[in-house]
Amino acid sequence: MLTDDERSHLQEHVARYPERRAGAIYVLQFLQEKFGHLNDDALAEASGLCGLSITQLDELVTFYSLLLRRPAGRTVLRICDSIACHLAGAPRLLAEAERLTGAPLGDVSEDGAVTVMPHVCLGLCDRAPAALAGEREVGGLDTASLGELIASLRAEAEG
Amino acid sequence: MEPVLSRNFHLPQPPGLAEYRAGGGYENLKAALDRRPADMIEMVDKTHLRGYGGAGFPLARKWKARGPDAPHPRYLVMNVDETEPGSFKDRQLLYRDPHQVIEAVLVTGFIEQADHAYVFVRGEYAEGARRLEQAVAEAREAGLVGHNVLGSGFDLDIDVHLSAGRYICGEETALLNALEGRRGNPRAKPPMPFEKGLWGAPTLVHNIETLCHVPYIVSRGPEWFNAQGINGGHGTKLYSVCGEVQHPGFWELPMGTTARELLYDHAGGPLEGQELVAFLPGGASTSFLLPEQLDTPMQFDAVAAAGSRFGTCGIIALGSTTCPVEFLIGINKFFARESCGFCTPCRDGLPYLQSLLERIEAGQGKPGDPDLLLELCAKIAPNSFCPFAPGAIMPLESGLKVFRDAIQDHIDRGACPYGGAR
Repeated sequence: MLTDDERSHLQEHVARYPERRAGAIYVLQFLQEKFGHLNDDALAEASGLCGLSITQLDELVTFYSLLLRRPAGRTVLRICDSIACHLAGAPRLLAEAERLTGAPLGDVSEDGAVTVMPHVCLGLCDRAPAALAGEREVGGLDTASLGELIASLRAEAEG
Repeated sequence: MEPVLSRNFHLPQPPGLAEYRAGGGYENLKAALDRRPADMIEMVDKTHLRGYGGAGFPLARKWKARGPDAPHPRYLVMNVDETEPGSFKDRQLLYRDPHQVIEAVLVTGFIEQADHAYVFVRGEYAEGARRLEQAVAEAREAGLVGHNVLGSGFDLDIDVHLSAGRYICGEETALLNALEGRRGNPRAKPPMPFEKGLWGAPTLVHNIETLCHVPYIVSRGPEWFNAQGINGGHGTKLYSVCGEVQHPGFWELPMGTTARELLYDHAGGPLEGQELVAFLPGGASTSFLLPEQLDTPMQFDAVAAAGSRFGTCGIIALGSTTCPVEFLIGINKFFARESCGFCTPCRDGLPYLQSLLERIEAGQGKPGDPDLLLELCAKIAPNSFCPFAPGAIMPLESGLKVFRDAIQDHIDRGACPYGGAR
């Protein structure tokens, strides 16, 4: 699953804290980056590194909204629907995203390119409505630019 | 006014170490390392500098509460978990001037005689956390971070901790759990974090904007700081305005600048064809202020006297063509979803409130709904475990009063008079 180098990098990281479990979030983020989501194998790997049981790790993964227990598209598109973005049309964008991807919010589009989710305030209220495509911030969205964004994410996934 | 915290914000890229130093960067750290921590605590005490993360607790009082004899190890945590809807000031500090953030951690760490510092960054600000990590590496290389800071004999290493989401992790005890690799549920107080925080050791948690002021205060003095404020405020403040205004944005201005100046002079006033109906002065978890209160100076005491809360001072404006019930739905949706689920009044009460608001908006409200909503507000806030639910209730309870007629109109007509939800 992990290479020896990756495993020793993670071991070094968790050793920096007084308790190994404090490194769990970093380890889970690393595994998710590599595998797209945190499947059972990933949790087993994290368990060995952090000294936590699978159940304890499941408690973390189900709590933190950026950790994904279920498979996700190649890019996760998080559309902010907190107040400034809500006023600027986030509900319309979320409906349009479902239509464009053909998948309900939280599900993977059929081509595996994208998962769209509503998300809490991204601190981009001055550029509302805003979203995070992976880690990239996008502001000033409308249905047209959302369409272009989703099309580009699909093209990236193909290429 | 000369910008202080935002003095490097005009640069196209955040300044690297050399550029930051060329502009006088880390000189405040040198000045601080020559002073006694106790003297600097007194200096900050004279400034009335309070926490800008929302709670507004005076910084020097926090230091004095922990005291100089607290056992080691001692931890310092900088809180960059900004998730309050309508607040985007901390993002600017993190993304646009990472060395200023490091200098703030070093000076504060020296004042607190801390053994280790963590910068806790919300997961959505991953790019900002990376920039900060690079800057920490650069500063470590230059002898500014780690062993024997600038040859002073003081050691402080800084770790950047990238979190993984959830608003509640900005609450300081939830943050401690998150940092320890646990679910971010708040802890019971007492013990206070300054007594038993991270791994049971004395820990002080501070907002990033608050700490960024400290190096300037200890180098230029409390009189200089206090003179920057107006209308009873002290120092400068990173203000922001969003929602239904022409030019949402952020500006560093004298603390005490009026809401009118922020909303009209800086944010350009209401959108075309709208009038200002109300605004939340301090982020989502505050009470509404009305147009007749526009001359309120935006500083802690004046906003409290006006009946609301200064919070993070991220102002959110509501215009006249938007349904106020929909505005409340937009606010409460956030809190209903972000409840950590630990206590029942919050976990079950906020979604219940949401369902009532939604049925009113859909034209299916019942005559008793406004009173039922108020009754729920009165029960949820005092019976929940942490300040989250009281914060969630604040805009709702005040909105139910301010928009009473509009809500009643929904129920009487059996339809939204504004044409329904977006």
